[in-house]
Amino acid sequence: MTRTAFALQTTPKVNEPELIARVLAGDRLAGRELYDAHAPRVFRLAYRLTGDAELAREFTQDTFVRAFHRLADFRGDAAFSTWIHRITVTVVANAMRKVRRLRERETDLTDLDSAHPASGKDGSRRIDPDLRERLAKAIDALPEIYRTTLIMHDLEGYTHTEIAAVLGVAEGTCKSRLSAARAQLRAALADFAKEYES
Amino acid sequence: MTDNNRDRFDELLEDAARTYNRPPDERQMPLDDIWNAVEVQAFAPARRPARFTQWLRIAAALVIGVGIGRLSLFTATSRPTTSVAKVDSAPRNQVANGPTQPLDPATSRYLGQAAALLIALPAETNVGRPDESFIKRANELLLTTRLLLDSESGSDPGLRNLLEDLELVLVQVVRLEKERSPSRRTEMELIQQALDQRDVIPRLRTAASEYAADD
Repeated sequence: MTRTAFALQTTPKVNEPELIARVLAGDRLAGRELYDAHAPRVFRLAYRLTGDAELAREFTQDTFVRAFHRLADFRGDAAFSTWIHRITVTVVANAMRKVRRLRERETDLTDLDSAHPASGKDGSRRIDPDLRERLAKAIDALPEIYRTTLIMHDLEGYTHTEIAAVLGVAEGTCKSRLSAARAQLRAALADFAKEYES
Repeated sequence: MTDNNRDRFDELLEDAARTYNRPPDERQMPLDDIWNAVEVQAFAPARRPARFTQWLRIAAALVIGVGIGRLSLFTATSRPTTSVAKVDSAPRNQVANGPTQPLDPATSRYLGQAAALLIALPAETNVGRPDESFIKRANELLLTTRLLLDSESGSDPGLRNLLEDLELVLVQVVRLEKERSPSRRTEMELIQQALDQRDVIPRLRTAASEYAADD
């Protein structure tokens, strides 16, 4: 499968231990450098998980504020990118429970066309808009742990090793969650199966 | 599912990778704006000592206030005559609608300020985008709300319920600042709907007046 490939190993080459030490000493420039190295992927993941620019912005901000406040607790056992992605996923998951109440009221406002714009620039077979929308809703409806795993793996190109580290689970668990997520999506799209074949 | 279907499903997932909640291009991400907010919150002590100490004072006032409130409650419940008064006032302190324990002056004042801000909201938005100082005030109240939620006061189920509803509304108000979309009117209607459905303003006013009434 072709992936967007925004995996953790693409972390920019900066001397992070040194940067972190400087941030802990109150160096804002070092903080900015650390932020610049990770913010795009954090924002990207937050956007994928929320589908809302303003929420992605708020959660990215919250992620980094928390990260800087807790930086002294970061021991370097895992990569900084793994640590900050873990914070991101936690921040988004916790906040979305509250936001969901709001979302229920905002459903009417959702512009599905802009949220899921037509593709096909790469010459791939044109996807029926109804099918695309059905898939999007099926992804939205997945249990949180399945949805996060599917988005990170199939949509953002993280490896099972990376996802397992971020979510704090075994790789096998990660694989089985992805498998379950895909199975649920297939089931949700079962009545489109005839169209697949056409 | 046939192999053909499986291929088609993979193709669908590839399409989803391009279209589902598609993030903007990195150049269009508001990374500088986010950093500005992060910098203020994460590096405030070195950069803005006055502002930080102001928040420290507020936080300290809240903590002291909560302590006084708890002490008052303890003292009050230990006196038979006051216990009778507490039983009489119980119906207005329902868990779902407001604080179940006496509020301290600082919290009461903050709830009153939040009510005042929300009452002024329609007038602010009638003339278009809310005033910067209005949004700033909403931001400050949002921060205080979150501080309270994280404090011991947040363990009071009634107050927590009220604070969570207030937080939800304030987040929507603060978001009005950034979004200049044509759906602003609908957003305002949603805020109003949230206020009406949860009786946020009446509950805030009631809770804010609790202290004065109990005083």
